[in-house]
Amino acid sequence: MPPALLTTSLVNTIQIGSLYALMALGITLTFSVMKLPNFAHAEYVTVGAFAALIVSLSGNVNPLVIMLAAFIVGALVALVSHIAVFKPLEGREVSFYTLILSSFAVGLILRYILFMVADYFNLFDTRIRISLQILLREGYLILTNIFFWVVPSSILLVIALTLLLNRTPLGREMRALANNPGLARVIGIPVERVKNYSWLLVGGLAGVAGALWGLQTAVSPLMGWVAIISVFAAAILGGLSSFAGTILGAYVVAFSENTVMLFLNFNFGLDLAYKPAIPFIIIIAVLLIRPQGFTELIKRAGDLKR
Amino acid sequence: MITVHNLTAGYGKLEILQDLSLGFAAEQFSAVLGPNGSGKSTLMKAIMGVNRIFAGSIQWNGRELVGMPTEAISSLGLAYVPQRENIFDELTVLDNLQLGSRSLHREERAAALDELLALFPILGRRQTQRAGLLSGGEHQMLAIAIAWLSRPTIMLLDEPSAGLAPVVATEVFRVLQALSQQGITLIVVEQNARRILQYCDHAYVLREGTLAFQGTAAQCLEDEETIKGYLGVH
Repeated sequence: MPPALLTTSLVNTIQIGSLYALMALGITLTFSVMKLPNFAHAEYVTVGAFAALIVSLSGNVNPLVIMLAAFIVGALVALVSHIAVFKPLEGREVSFYTLILSSFAVGLILRYILFMVADYFNLFDTRIRISLQILLREGYLILTNIFFWVVPSSILLVIALTLLLNRTPLGREMRALANNPGLARVIGIPVERVKNYSWLLVGGLAGVAGALWGLQTAVSPLMGWVAIISVFAAAILGGLSSFAGTILGAYVVAFSENTVMLFLNFNFGLDLAYKPAIPFIIIIAVLLIRPQGFTELIKRAGDLKR
Repeated sequence: MITVHNLTAGYGKLEILQDLSLGFAAEQFSAVLGPNGSGKSTLMKAIMGVNRIFAGSIQWNGRELVGMPTEAISSLGLAYVPQRENIFDELTVLDNLQLGSRSLHREERAAALDELLALFPILGRRQTQRAGLLSGGEHQMLAIAIAWLSRPTIMLLDEPSAGLAPVVATEVFRVLQALSQQGITLIVVEQNARRILQYCDHAYVLREGTLAFQGTAAQCLEDEETIKGYLGVH
């Protein structure tokens, strides 16, 4: 594989991996704090992308404003889906499977609302409008200002989320709720309030991920749904419980989809059309060989460090 | 003062406590004894509002606790140490202690943590470790510490000595005695009647969800019938 191609694929790995991390952390957080594998997470991403798109159409808008709009809309949609659907279902003590199915239903409803929005405003396959500048060109490798928005923003947000979880009282309460919800209630943690904040956070981050995702591709009502399998693969690699494992998982999935795929294509002639199969292969392999993902590994590394 | 009046409580459709009435005096160390399934833990959980209450009332200083959410009961100054899963084992010892003291003001919190580390020096040395790595005794001390850090007026403990070696269990009871001397009302469920009767002021014996005996620890020890019949101590 020529070095230029390798470099391009590694740049893609970093860019896509950072976005996967942003989305997958939300899934891990929802699963550990709310005990829900939320497939509607895909649509919080898409909703964020549409919010970003609509705001950007009003003309020359700062990307930070676009991201803020995506955060707010994503956060509110996530909170509403909790209050309107997931919380009442939990109150009735429905089974885990009912919750999973209901999350598919919420996703489906949101997706087709977005189809209606896209149809009404004629937004199919439109791009978020920001000025495009090429900042670096070297052979195959072209780096635009979008790269320098997407990568640092997602890495900074991942760092901010990690700090929030590990260094703030709210983060500690979220981790407590994830670890032992019964005791969390007993010691007086306001469980419902912590859950509401978690939903806002999860939806907001998904929304920003959608905006950043939309910056590099066209916005469509299916974009979140298309990405969700890769994102779930990343979260499953993290054992759906470890945040560090999830971030690692995101880059592993992105690396497999980009660098490994390109390597197989170049050296063994494997058609690039097989790329969407990679996250499925990863999910199946992890569930067969190491269902706990990186969780134990990271826990043990942490124990040694201390 | 906690007054339980005609309480029927349990889980799902199962009624374990049957029309139970009793009162726990303030600033006393009370033990709740009785055979397995007599409803000791059910009583603790009913006071904290974590299980199902079919009928009756539980009042604390004239306030009705039945129907109040657990978080609200806890914020009134009642702290509960469940028998199992009573620490956050994935979090560090320090995280656990900070969660315990979360309702205190900043200055109060620092003072409480200092006082706590004097009471439980071992927890200080293990602050940065994951709580799940603690030994049985340390684990139980941490569970008590979490509850104590909220500066409660009443502490309810469900079998704090379960599964501990006798020497370690004695240590736990000494700590409880020290807490009692601070003026905290203690209500402790215990299997080993003979041991806790050496430390507590009052004893309540439950049998099949009803009150079979109540009196001072000394009276309980003297009451042959209670001891042999209900507690299985010889």
